[in-house]
Amino acid sequence: MPHSTSAPRLGDLERVVMEHLWDASGTGGDSFEGATVREVHERFDGEREIAYTTVMTVLDRLAKKDLVTRVRDGRAWRYFPADTREALTAQTMRRTLDDMDVADRRTALLHFLDGATTDELADLKDALAEIEARAEGEPATSGRRRTIRRR
Amino acid sequence: MGGGWWRRACHHGPVIPFLLAGLAVLLAWVAPGLMARRKAFRRAPRAALVAWQAVSVGGILAALAAGPAAIPLLLDGDAPTRHLRLVVPAVLVSAVVLGRLLHAGHHVGTRLRRVRADHRQLVDIVARHEERVRILQHPTPTAYCIPGRQSRVVLSQGVLDALPGEQLEAVIAHENAHLRGRHDLLLEFFAVVTQAVPAPLRSSEALDEVRLLVEALADRAAVRRTGEVATARALLTLAGSRAPDAALGVGATAPVRLRLLADGPPGPVLPLIAYSYAALAATLPLVLLGLAWA
Repeated sequence: MPHSTSAPRLGDLERVVMEHLWDASGTGGDSFEGATVREVHERFDGEREIAYTTVMTVLDRLAKKDLVTRVRDGRAWRYFPADTREALTAQTMRRTLDDMDVADRRTALLHFLDGATTDELADLKDALAEIEARAEGEPATSGRRRTIRRR
Repeated sequence: MGGGWWRRACHHGPVIPFLLAGLAVLLAWVAPGLMARRKAFRRAPRAALVAWQAVSVGGILAALAAGPAAIPLLLDGDAPTRHLRLVVPAVLVSAVVLGRLLHAGHHVGTRLRRVRADHRQLVDIVARHEERVRILQHPTPTAYCIPGRQSRVVLSQGVLDALPGEQLEAVIAHENAHLRGRHDLLLEFFAVVTQAVPAPLRSSEALDEVRLLVEALADRAAVRRTGEVATARALLTLAGSRAPDAALGVGATAPVRLRLLADGPPGPVLPLIAYSYAALAATLPLVLLGLAWA
């Protein structure tokens, strides 16, 4: 299956191409007029061997994912990042916290923690104090104590 | 011993399909409520998870076996059509349960895979790539993993800023335990079973408890790596830095998890009870089916 070998590589390239576009729009500021496939391709010079058509494919994929926008310029497309990197990061964070349906999110991603209310925080502090007291009571022996008890 | 009794029962009355249907109801509706209230078993999360799976699988097996268990009644030489009024509903029940499970499995599976793939692609593009983790440049502390074939552990810059090294190590060990243990498959199984139940009868008791248990299990892994104090401190720091999930009907898991850490591991009795219970729940439907065909 060619998909399984090419997908990770394309994913990696998507990131590099986005970084190139963010760089270019950052240095260009408001006067940034987008980058053509050729301009993005030229940015790879000296970094790695990438075919022109590969860059085209990657930009096309990014456009389909709404990560870049493009406008016609004569016979070529000019590509823009749809959002700044900061905005896209914030959007990614929001998705994990609010946007997805709650059941989906909690099954799709495994979060370390789901937050706590103020009342719960008080309980949490009590429990932590207990654990700390136990650890301090027997410095560096908490592991040993358990092995003794198990015997 | 009871061989003759069983044979007579099967000939004179359709006992086993009824028993299986009753067992299915018992395991699917009654047992989860009782188990969710036995909070002591949370101290043995691994054994408790096995018990939950066994009860779910047992309930499904019982429902699926009701139809096949009724078939021998048709093979009754004297009056094959006498039992049709029982056989047809029993087979229908089994078929409907199978259909709903397959449908829910497909639905939940595709949706989860799509959500994870979309999110992973986004993270891969915006996040900083480190050796073991992806870092999102964002001040809100958060840590999670994206399970699947191409799994990722994702941390925000906020979490790096909030947690000292050892606590960060605990968080990463916790997430890696989820990925290594394929806890996502457990959650997916229970999400499918939950969804397969028609909405008015649906209860999320099992799924909620399993969610808590996989967290408790991953906490154990973090404790093994960094100790109880670092793990507990990480839990407290992160619990305080984030608003509770308002959309969630159930309480936060943090207080329960920290309490479990404070209580420490259980003796040998709790796991033993949980494993015996699991063995019984999973094998009883098969034993009954075997008897029906004996």
